[in-house]
Amino acid sequence: MNPLWLGLVLTAVKLVVVLAALLTMAAYMVWVERRLLARMQLRLGPNRVGWFGLLQPLADVIKMLAKEDTVPAQADRWVFLLAPAVTACMALLTFAVVPFGPPLSLFGQEVPMVVSDLNIGVLFFLGLSSLGVYGVALGGWASSSKFALMGAVRGLAQLISYELSMSLALVPVLMLAGSFSLSDIVAAQAEVPFVVYAPVSFAIFLVSILAESRRTPFDLPEAESELVAGYHTEYSGMRFGLYFVGEYINMIVLGALTTVLFLGGWHGPWLPGLAWFLLKVGALAFFFIWVRGTLPRLRYDQVMHLGWKVLLPLALVNLLVTAGILLGVRA
Amino acid sequence: MLASPNWTHLAAELSGEAPLDLSAGLSLLLYTGLVVGLVLLLMLLAAKLGHKSTTPAKREPYESGILPSGEARVRGPVPFYLVAVFFIVFDVEAVFIVSWAVVYDRLGWAGFAQMAVFIGVLFLALGYLWKAGALDWGPRAGRKAGGKLPEAGR
Amino acid sequence: MSTVIFYVLSATALVATLLCVTRKQAVHAIVYLINALFALALMFYLLGAPLVAAWEVIIYAGAIMVLFLFIVMMFELDPAREAQRPAPARRWPVVLISAVILACSLALAFADPAGQAGVPGYYASPRAFGELMFGEYALGVEVASFLLLFAAVGAYTVGRGDEPAGGGEGRR
Repeated sequence: MNPLWLGLVLTAVKLVVVLAALLTMAAYMVWVERRLLARMQLRLGPNRVGWFGLLQPLADVIKMLAKEDTVPAQADRWVFLLAPAVTACMALLTFAVVPFGPPLSLFGQEVPMVVSDLNIGVLFFLGLSSLGVYGVALGGWASSSKFALMGAVRGLAQLISYELSMSLALVPVLMLAGSFSLSDIVAAQAEVPFVVYAPVSFAIFLVSILAESRRTPFDLPEAESELVAGYHTEYSGMRFGLYFVGEYINMIVLGALTTVLFLGGWHGPWLPGLAWFLLKVGALAFFFIWVRGTLPRLRYDQVMHLGWKVLLPLALVNLLVTAGILLGVRA
Repeated sequence: MLASPNWTHLAAELSGEAPLDLSAGLSLLLYTGLVVGLVLLLMLLAAKLGHKSTTPAKREPYESGILPSGEARVRGPVPFYLVAVFFIVFDVEAVFIVSWAVVYDRLGWAGFAQMAVFIGVLFLALGYLWKAGALDWGPRAGRKAGGKLPEAGR
Repeated sequence: MSTVIFYVLSATALVATLLCVTRKQAVHAIVYLINALFALALMFYLLGAPLVAAWEVIIYAGAIMVLFLFIVMMFELDPAREAQRPAPARRWPVVLISAVILACSLALAFADPAGQAGVPGYYASPRAFGELMFGEYALGVEVASFLLLFAAVGAYTVGRGDEPAGGGEGRR
């Protein structure tokens, strides 16, 4: 086989494996969250389907596919049908720029352990996360339902507010690495992860991605005690499933990005790179679940207050101070 | 006429690394195709395999079990869209800051001073909005801002 | 290869824009406009300006369109009602400006029918872009910050209207 075709085949195999792994991890993240949350609340959680309930995600997929796909009478049909795809696609596509291991040598070819090492990887992530907002907004609008619309409006306001602090929290990382490419950012952390140099940024970023992934304590767009299910009130079956799984894919992808940006990516002693990467992502996912088990939901004005009056000014001051210190040290 | 001196001047400053990495682009394109294909397949399967027994009542929007009343599209209060306006302003600011972040070391203290002024001016904007009460969403927001009760009599 | 992609993208942008201006439903128009802007961003990337491509997506598709969507979602009245058409007297500035732009584009196209001039195939790396912007055009950046300040203050003053600030979500 000539090298060009070999490279193409290797790339295709890699992409399928990455996508399959990502989806399997998301499906099992649902199971892990349900089990862990149950233990935190002194319950058992799903343990009937298969060994320890390990086949629960599979059973859920079959159930969601078999459910009726309802569309409300007054809904804007096409927008309603396609909106869930936006959320799921944007979450999956964001993973394209995340490097998850050192390059692998296979059949004499170097296979980079990243889908596509764009030189503007960080901006690719910011752009996709700003487009992911449309899944929530259009889904809620197209349902033509009061709960859904209110959830969508709230969600839109919350997501754009935290996008600001998220992108500003990244600035110190960009300064330390001097590049938008995530591979360069990982390479710059071979010795010391950036969380040591930029702890404040790390904290701001962590809070912001919690809000961006719409998880407790920031799950106002779908606050079940007041808005039924928020923007996806009218969705059923697999379309609801796409919103639901999209949230877990988002959790993994944002965890992976935090790992890459602040925790040194796949760098670490003794263990192979991929193992370190998965370990760090897993730890962050556990943190997300732990937060959900611990904190109550914020009130709407508290969410906006935190975003605009605490995180935004803090991120601005933080980046100026970081730049000043870096210039002073490197001069 | 586009090839004015301005272009050559820019070109001298800007040309540099290799333009397009084809393998990375191809990989991204394939991945995008896979992702979109998979999601569409799932939605198609859901539409084909799903149980079908639609009744008019099932297609009504959910309003906690009672019959839906009135328009779904409620006219919202103003502050929500103001958030979007402020977001644009500060997003553009973030764009400038991020563009500066990767070259801060080459620009040195001059660039730092420039950015400090830039951010300072935007802090003025944030401060004004804060003082004016544009960033308050709580039930007492109106009282703080205007000195009068917002909800009274409505 | 990149020529083919370029034509595919420009066709997408044109069709999406056409569909955008012919939609009656405002949200559909916004969705098509987002598509058109996304295609334009990819074209910028092809032309060797990755940073401009990213800003196009983040600012135009991700921020300004969100504002449009917000306003449509909250202030749209009956979707079945015929959209209000502006009075003829208020249309002519738009027609005039469009005519001038069209004339300029045609003049440019006929002055160089073979497309020889065009943009040379240069590549602006993010670092080079930043250095140029904050070095040579430093004053512009500072002016931009003041523009943004005025925009924020102005939007608040106009947007507040006669409503008490921060009416809260609960008001009907």
